[in-house]
Amino acid sequence: MRNVRTIARREFFAYFGSPVAYIAIAVFLVLLGVTFFFKIPFLLPKDDFFEAKEATLRPLFEWMVFLFTIILPAISMRLLAEERKMGTLELLLTLPLTETEVVVGKFLGALGFLGVATGLTLAYPILLAVLGHPDPGPIVGGYFGVLLIGAAYLAVGLLASAWTGSQITAFLVAIVICAFFTFVDRLPEALGLRSFEATNLLSFNAHFRSIARGVIDSRDVVFFLSVIVGAVALASHSLESRKWK
Amino acid sequence: MIEVRNLVKDYGPIRALAGVSFTVQRGEVVGFLGPNGAGKTTCMKIVTGFIAATSGSVTVDGKDVVEDGVEVRRRIGYLPENAPVYPDMTVREYLAFVAGIRAIPKNDIVRRINDVAMRVGIVNVLGQEIGTLSKGYRQRTGLAQAMIHDPEILILDEPTSGLDPNQIVEIRELIHDLGRDRTVILSTHNLPEVTATCNRILLIHRGKLVADGTPASISAAHGGGNTFLVEVDRRQGAHPVADVLGRLPGVLSVLPIDRPEAVGEPLRIAASGDADLRPAIFDLAVKSGWALLEVRRERLDLESIFQRLTQS
Repeated sequence: MRNVRTIARREFFAYFGSPVAYIAIAVFLVLLGVTFFFKIPFLLPKDDFFEAKEATLRPLFEWMVFLFTIILPAISMRLLAEERKMGTLELLLTLPLTETEVVVGKFLGALGFLGVATGLTLAYPILLAVLGHPDPGPIVGGYFGVLLIGAAYLAVGLLASAWTGSQITAFLVAIVICAFFTFVDRLPEALGLRSFEATNLLSFNAHFRSIARGVIDSRDVVFFLSVIVGAVALASHSLESRKWK
Repeated sequence: MIEVRNLVKDYGPIRALAGVSFTVQRGEVVGFLGPNGAGKTTCMKIVTGFIAATSGSVTVDGKDVVEDGVEVRRRIGYLPENAPVYPDMTVREYLAFVAGIRAIPKNDIVRRINDVAMRVGIVNVLGQEIGTLSKGYRQRTGLAQAMIHDPEILILDEPTSGLDPNQIVEIRELIHDLGRDRTVILSTHNLPEVTATCNRILLIHRGKLVADGTPASISAAHGGGNTFLVEVDRRQGAHPVADVLGRLPGVLSVLPIDRPEAVGEPLRIAASGDADLRPAIFDLAVKSGWALLEVRRERLDLESIFQRLTQS
């Protein structure tokens, strides 16, 4: 456990010791602000914040999820791919550590980034509370759901990063997997089919929406936890099997 | 304390190690020597648990590197080839990170870092980002990282590669020093390095161990015996000289050799044992009135022994 903490701390500070984290957070907040306050024709057919006159953060969370599918793979891509490329993986794995400690530590370090990025959006609920009387349920649920789906993205990104020595490859693979599982519930509709239960079950977004309604269903939580644990375990396994190649 | 048995490693169709076995005792300083691609690095990566062997086993103090990996790695300090480092950390941050994982107590960490930094000579760059350091300082940072927990076993893959001649001497002295009270295995393709720092050589070639011993024992085993080179002025005529020399006690054979630059008659004398025949040859020449142009003990140096063993 102490080792996991040491690695997590190093990863976390590695993000904030370089411009990457600041750029990612700045882009995230600016895009989020623009989509929150302004109407964007075609892209987001809704009334803007002022016209809607409704004390809700639902569109904000939807956008956060969308932005996370791009930003979080960019954050997770370096976790293992960079170590492999630079040869520092050899240093790390010849320390008295297990592969599991390494991947869990790295995952938690990236989760720290997610926490900071998400925490900075708390300005919106505060603003909302000042201006009106929002229902706290969907806001708490929304943040809980955003953190869960973000953690799932990071776990998938970590796995992609374990597969390759190239950060770009890890980034693209993670985006494709994350986007697919996020929007798979819309696939039947897009193909002109009626909706399937299976696509809803697999869809990150469907589970996220369910949580974000403010009624926390243990099935949705279990779904995300399974994805997280599964992807982190696979990443650890992938790191271990490298030994035998 | 380190026991390597029948190590085989295949990278796909390529066999990098083809059955290497050796044991290293506590306090030995062992030099892994061999041409590039011989299997030195592969062997070290297996001993440190970074990769697993296709077959064979490595145990450290009776503990298997695969089964008891964490326990084995606790006892080892390792400097990988090319000394990989985290460029975005300062030397102090990096050493503190490794010290943390090495379970060095918190209030000892600062003292340990300063001690180690002093020993490898990086005190003045402790606050600098590793990415901005020269190759020599990075190499020493890697060495400091390997020593931070004062390990019983140090495994150093090409510890002096990329260093300038002065730094090489410093690092060799340091390794020599470290070898006094711990086990060191280092690899190199540089022969003088091994003879300067190691008391035992493992010569590896194409994944096989081709020689194992002290520099002296290897040269005795592969050097081809006790021979002398004698050159006598040609006017004396070769035959009587060779005949007379052949009658000296201890001489096994006297053969003319081909030396284009010779002005006299060059002969190679093989002697039994390791008796030095040079005084006897000189006395004989004086007595017989020969003009002796040269008398030299031939010693096949390690360099040529290694060349011979690592060709083909």
